Amino acid sequence: MASLKRSLDRDPLAASISSKVYVRSTKSGKVQKIVREVYLRRDIPCSSKLCQSCLQAAPRDAAGRPIPFVLSDKPAGTSKFPQGHYLVPDTNAFLNAMDLFEQASAFYDVVVLQVVLEEVRNRSLPLYNRLISLTKSEEKRFYVFFNEFRLETHVARLEGESVNDRNDRAVRKATKWYSEHLARTKAKKVPAVVMLSNDRDNLRKARDEGIPACSMSEYVKQLKDGDRLLDLIPESEEGEFTKEKRTGENLYPEYFTMSKMMTGVKAGLLHQGTFNVSPYNYLEGSIRVPAFPKSLIILGRENINRAIDGDLVVVEILPKDQWKSPSTKVIEEDAVTKNENPDAEVGEDFVSEKERKALQEEVKRTQSKTTEGHAQPTAKVVGVIKRNWRQYVGHIDQSSVSQSGQGRKQDTVFVIPMDKKIPKIRLRTRQVAELVGKRILVAIDAWDRGSRHPSGHFIRSLGELETKAAETEALLLEYDVQYRPFPKTVLDCLPQEGHGWKVPESTDDAGWRDRADLRDLLICSIDPIGCQDIDDALHSRPLPNGNVEVGVHIADVSHFVKPNNAMDMEASVRGTTVYLVDKRIDMLPMLLGTDLCSLKPYVERYAFSVIWELSPDADIVNVRFTKSVIKSREAFSYEQAQLRVDDASQQDELTLSIRTLLELSKKLKQRRIEAGALSLSSPEVKVQMESETSDPIDVKTKEHLATMSLVEEFMLLANTTVAAKIYDAFPQTAILRRHGAPPKTNFDELANQLKVKKGMELSIESSRALADSLDTCVDPKEPFFNTLIRIMATRCMMAAEYFCSGTQAYDDFRHYGLASEIYTHFTSPIRRYADLVAHRQLAAAIEYEPVHPSVRSRGRLEAVCKNINVRHRNAQLAGRASIAYYVGQSLRGKATEEDGFVIKIFSNGFVVLVPRFGIESLIRLRDIAEPEPEATFDAENYVLTTAGSREVRVELFQKVRVKVTDQKDEATGKRGVKMELIRTL
Amino acid sequence: MPLDTSAYNLALLRVDGRRWNELRRIHAQIRTQPAADGSSYLEMGHTKVMCVVTGPSESGARRVGTTGGAAAGALGSGGGGSRDGDAEVVVSVVLAGFSSVDRKRRGRNDKGILELQSTISSALSSSLHTHLYPRSTISISLHVLSQDGSLLAALLNAATLACIDAGIAMTDYVAACTAGSTSTYAANDEKADPLLDMNHQEEQELPGLTVATLGQSDRVIVLVCESRVQVSRLEGMLAVGVDGCKQVRDIMDKVVREKGRRMLEEGAIEKGVGLEDMDLD
Repeated sequence: MASLKRSLDRDPLAASISSKVYVRSTKSGKVQKIVREVYLRRDIPCSSKLCQSCLQAAPRDAAGRPIPFVLSDKPAGTSKFPQGHYLVPDTNAFLNAMDLFEQASAFYDVVVLQVVLEEVRNRSLPLYNRLISLTKSEEKRFYVFFNEFRLETHVARLEGESVNDRNDRAVRKATKWYSEHLARTKAKKVPAVVMLSNDRDNLRKARDEGIPACSMSEYVKQLKDGDRLLDLIPESEEGEFTKEKRTGENLYPEYFTMSKMMTGVKAGLLHQGTFNVSPYNYLEGSIRVPAFPKSLIILGRENINRAIDGDLVVVEILPKDQWKSPSTKVIEEDAVTKNENPDAEVGEDFVSEKERKALQEEVKRTQSKTTEGHAQPTAKVVGVIKRNWRQYVGHIDQSSVSQSGQGRKQDTVFVIPMDKKIPKIRLRTRQVAELVGKRILVAIDAWDRGSRHPSGHFIRSLGELETKAAETEALLLEYDVQYRPFPKTVLDCLPQEGHGWKVPESTDDAGWRDRADLRDLLICSIDPIGCQDIDDALHSRPLPNGNVEVGVHIADVSHFVKPNNAMDMEASVRGTTVYLVDKRIDMLPMLLGTDLCSLKPYVERYAFSVIWELSPDADIVNVRFTKSVIKSREAFSYEQAQLRVDDASQQDELTLSIRTLLELSKKLKQRRIEAGALSLSSPEVKVQMESETSDPIDVKTKEHLATMSLVEEFMLLANTTVAAKIYDAFPQTAILRRHGAPPKTNFDELANQLKVKKGMELSIESSRALADSLDTCVDPKEPFFNTLIRIMATRCMMAAEYFCSGTQAYDDFRHYGLASEIYTHFTSPIRRYADLVAHRQLAAAIEYEPVHPSVRSRGRLEAVCKNINVRHRNAQLAGRASIAYYVGQSLRGKATEEDGFVIKIFSNGFVVLVPRFGIESLIRLRDIAEPEPEATFDAENYVLTTAGSREVRVELFQKVRVKVTDQKDEATGKRGVKMELIRTL
Repeated sequence: MPLDTSAYNLALLRVDGRRWNELRRIHAQIRTQPAADGSSYLEMGHTKVMCVVTGPSESGARRVGTTGGAAAGALGSGGGGSRDGDAEVVVSVVLAGFSSVDRKRRGRNDKGILELQSTISSALSSSLHTHLYPRSTISISLHVLSQDGSLLAALLNAATLACIDAGIAMTDYVAACTAGSTSTYAANDEKADPLLDMNHQEEQELPGLTVATLGQSDRVIVLVCESRVQVSRLEGMLAVGVDGCKQVRDIMDKVVREKGRRMLEEGAIEKGVGLEDMDLD
C-alpha cells in the first residue's frame, strides 16, 4: 500500500506552513487540544510610509482596495531617539498602562504585534476593545502587525520553553525584523524601533541582541511632559522591580485557585454571587446566592478579603456559631481609619485596634441575644471570579498628604472615592500639590495580600472640587454615562436637509408608503413644561356606534434611525437619554430628538400610531397599528391641559376630546388597580432654577395632576397592546419588559417594623394583597405616613428589566408593579433604545418593512437588553445624584427647619428622611451632643434611648424636627445636606 | 487562544493567515489502496478524508427486486440518481471518533451524515455515466480522519478522485469548495469580503456555503447553504466559490496526471493503443 505519511515533505509550500497547537479547557472541565494551521507569508506590510517595497505588495480586499499605511514617515523623537521612533510594546505594557497609550500628548506610531493583541484579548476583553479602538483611530497611528503570519517573524515554541518566554522572543524578533526592514528603505532618517517592556529579563535579552528597549518609566522620562505621564504608570508596574525586597507579611488570606472555587461551587460547598457593600457600614457586605433565601452577610475586613463592591466573588459559609446578625451600627471608613499613614505598609496591625473595637461591640450584642432567629448566614470571601473595577472619581485625602516633601518626589496618598462603598485607594503621584483640592479620576490596579488598601494610579483631573463643570463630569463618569459629543460618523447619518426637513408634500413620495394620513385628526400632546423631545401625542373622537376611537401617536424614530448604522450603534450604546437637573445627555442627536422626530405642534410629522376602538367602559373592541402622518394641534403642559379641562366654558372639540380621554383613563386606572397594580412612591422633588444664572433657588415636591395619569394610562395601554402584538409575531425575540415579584424575604424587615411599631400587617402574597395592605397603612394623625411606607416598600422591590422573550417562560413575563401579564416600552423612542427596537419589531409585525436581522438575532438582542438595563439604572442614579447635588446647592448658606421621619435606626445613629426636599441623611449620636451620649438600643422594638449629655428617645417612623444645612462632606468631598436633630415630635 | 474572525478587517488576514481568496493547502493521492477498485486520500488543510470505491459491481440479490436507488442499505445509504437499469451510487460516510476535537458518538441514523451521503450520491450520479453500468452498484465509502471545516467539499473531491481511479466513466471532475463572508449575519455588513475555503473556526463564526461545479464549466451541481446570510452577499460568495472550484479542479487534475505519468514510467500499466494518443502532461 502506498504510504500516506510525510505528505508534507514533498510539498514545495511546506516551509510556509506551520501549525499552532494549544490546549484549552472547556466549561465542563474537559481538556481539549486544538491544532490550527498557520500559513506563513511574505506580503504582510510593515505599514510604514517610508517603505516603498511593502507599499507595492500591499494586500487588497475583494473590492481591490488596499489598506492605507499607518505609521508616519516622520515619527516623533524623544531625548534618546532624536531621529524618531516607532514603539513596539509587549503585552504587559498594554495591560498595565492602557491609559498612557490613550494620551493625546505622546504614544504615537505604535506597532501592536499580533502576539501581543492575542494575549491582551485573553487577559482582558475591555482592554482589548480599547486597544482595537486605538488601532481604528486615525490620529493615533496604531498598526497591528501580524507577526505570527509573516515568515520572517514567525516563532515556533521550543521544547521546554514557556509560553511567556516564547511570546517575549516573538516580540524581540519582530522588533528586530522591523529595525532591519526599515534600514533597508534607505530613508534619510531611519526611525528607531523601540521595544517597551517591564520584564527585566526580556529587556536584558533585547539589549544583548542589540535591540533598542526601554522599560515603561525609562521611556516616559524621555518624553517632554514625562513627569505628568509618570503618574499614569500603574502601581504594580513599579512593583515589578521592587517586589523582591518587599516581603512583608501578608495581611489577607490567599484566594483559592480558580479550579478549587469551581469545584467548590459545583459541589455546593462554596457560593458565587455579586458582592455588595452596606451603605452604612464599610466593613459589612452582603451577597445574594441562590442557595439561601436571605442574603449572606460578610463581616469584617478579613472576611471581605479585598472584595470591592460589585465584584463577582466566591464565598464560603462560616460555621453556624459564627453567624451574626446584620450590623445595627454605622461605621464609616473615614472616621475609623482617619489617621492611617499611606506610606506605612508593614509592621502595622492588619485589623486596626479601632476597627476591632467597633466590631467587638457588634459581636457582644449578637451573642448576648437569646433569640437565635436574628443571626443570618455569615460567610467569608475566598476568591474573586471577576473584578468589577472601573475608573473611580474621588479626591485626595488632605490629611494623608505629607507636608515635608515638595518638588518632584513621588508621594503616596489616599484617594477617597465619591462612592462611599469603594475603599480608599492608595495612589503614588509626583504632583500632589497640583492635585489636592481637585476632582480626579483614578483606576485601581491591584490589591495584593500585603496591602491594606488597594493601590491605583491617577488618570486625569476633572477640575476644582465643587465647580459645576467638574462635579457634573464627575457624576457622569461615576454613572458611566456617555457624554462626549456625537462623532462625525453619527452626524453623517442625519437627513441632509437638517432642520429644513419636512414631510414630503406629495403622498406618492416613498416616505408616504403605507402610511395612514391622520393629519385631519385633532391630535395634541401633553407633557411637562418645557419639554422639547415630544415622544407621544393623543387623540380621541366619538364613533357613530357609540364607541370611542382613541389614538396614541408615537414619534417615528425608526424612520430616521436605520438599524446598524453608526447612529443606531451609538444609540444602542447610550441606551437612554439621561436627565440631570441642568443638563440633558441625549441618546440621539439634537436634530432628531427635539425637531424632526419630536411631535411638535402645528407641523406635520411621521408617527407610529396605535388606534383602538374603545367601548364607553374602556374595553378594547379592536386595535390597529399603523405608520402615519400627523399634525399635532397643540402641545399642552400638564397644567395647561388641566386648566382647560376644568374650565367649563371651554367647549371646543379639542377640549371635549381631552375630557373623553380623561374619563376613559380613570376607568382604565380603576381596572388596573383592581388587577393589583401597585401605587408606589419615591420622594420626588423638582429643583427650580433661576433662568439666567441657572443657580438653583428652590426645591418643590412634584405635584400630581389628573392629566398626568391621563397620559400615563394611555401610554401603559399602548405598551401592553404593542407587547402582545410583537410577542405574537416574534415569540422568541420580542423585546419586553418584566418586573419580577419580589422575594418574600425582602419585606421581612419592613413587615416586622410595621407590626412592632404600628401593629399593622403587611401581606405580600400577591401584588393585589400588597396594594390592599399598603392602603390600610394609614396613620390618621400623620397624612404623610402612608407615603412613607410606600417609599420604604418601593425599596424592597426588584428592579424591572428588559429581556428578550425567548429567555423567559411566559409566566415570568409578568410586570408585578403594573399587574400586567406582558409589557414593553414603546412610547418613548426618542429617549429609550428599547422603544426603538420595539418600533422596528412592530413595523415588521405589521409587515410595513422586512424584518431586519438585528431585531431578530436573539444573541444580539440579549446583549442589547443587558446593556440598556445597566444604562437605564445608571441614568436613574445619575438623575437622583444630580437632584441631590442641586438640593444641597439650593440650601447653600441657608439653614431651614423641617419635619422629617426616622426611617432606619442604628445603635449609634439614625436616618431621617425629609419629604420636603426628598432627601435623607444620617444623624450620628456623636453629632447630637458633645461628648457622644451613652445610648441603649432596643433592636427588637427599634428604639434608641440616649442618656448623659443629651437625653432623647428616638424610634422608628417617628416624626422629628431637624435643621437642614448644607455642608461639605469632608469624606467624599461632596457638598451635601447635613441634618441636625432639634427635637423629636 | 488566537484571535477570532472579527480581526479580519485589521489587516485583511484570516485567522490562519490566509487572504480572502486563498485556498488552504490541498494534498491528494490516488490509488492508495491497490486492492480496491479505486481509492484516494485528500487533505484540505487539516480536513483529511480517504475514499474507497468498489464497483461497478453486480447488485446484491437483496437489491435486485428494488427499483431505483431509493432503497438504502443498512450500511451504505444515500443511494440515488439511478433510474431502473442505471447503476446505483451508494455512499457511506464514516466520521472517525478521533476526527474532531471532541469525541462525539454519532448514531447510525445521524441526520447530518445521511444528508452528506445523499448529497454526495446525487452529485456524483450526475457526473458518472451510470447508464453504462446497468443493474450494478457503485459503492463509495468515505472515511473522515480529521475535520477542520469544508467537510462536504473534501468528501466530494475525494470521491471524484476515487471514481477516476476506479476508471468509472464520468463527464468531468466534480470539484467542490466552500465560500463564506467575513462578517456575521447579524452585523449585516454589506461591504464584507467574501472568503474562500473556510476552516472550522470560520464555519463556526461566519456564514458560508458549499459549492461544487462540473469541471471547468460554471455548471453548479451542488450548492448547500446552511447558515443565514443576506441575499445581497450571496452573489459575491458564490462567485468566489465557483472560482475556487476551478482551482480545486486543476489541483485534482494535476494529481491524476502525475499519478498516470508515474504509473507509465514504472510500467505498472501497459501502454495501450489509446493511451499513446493521450496527452498525459
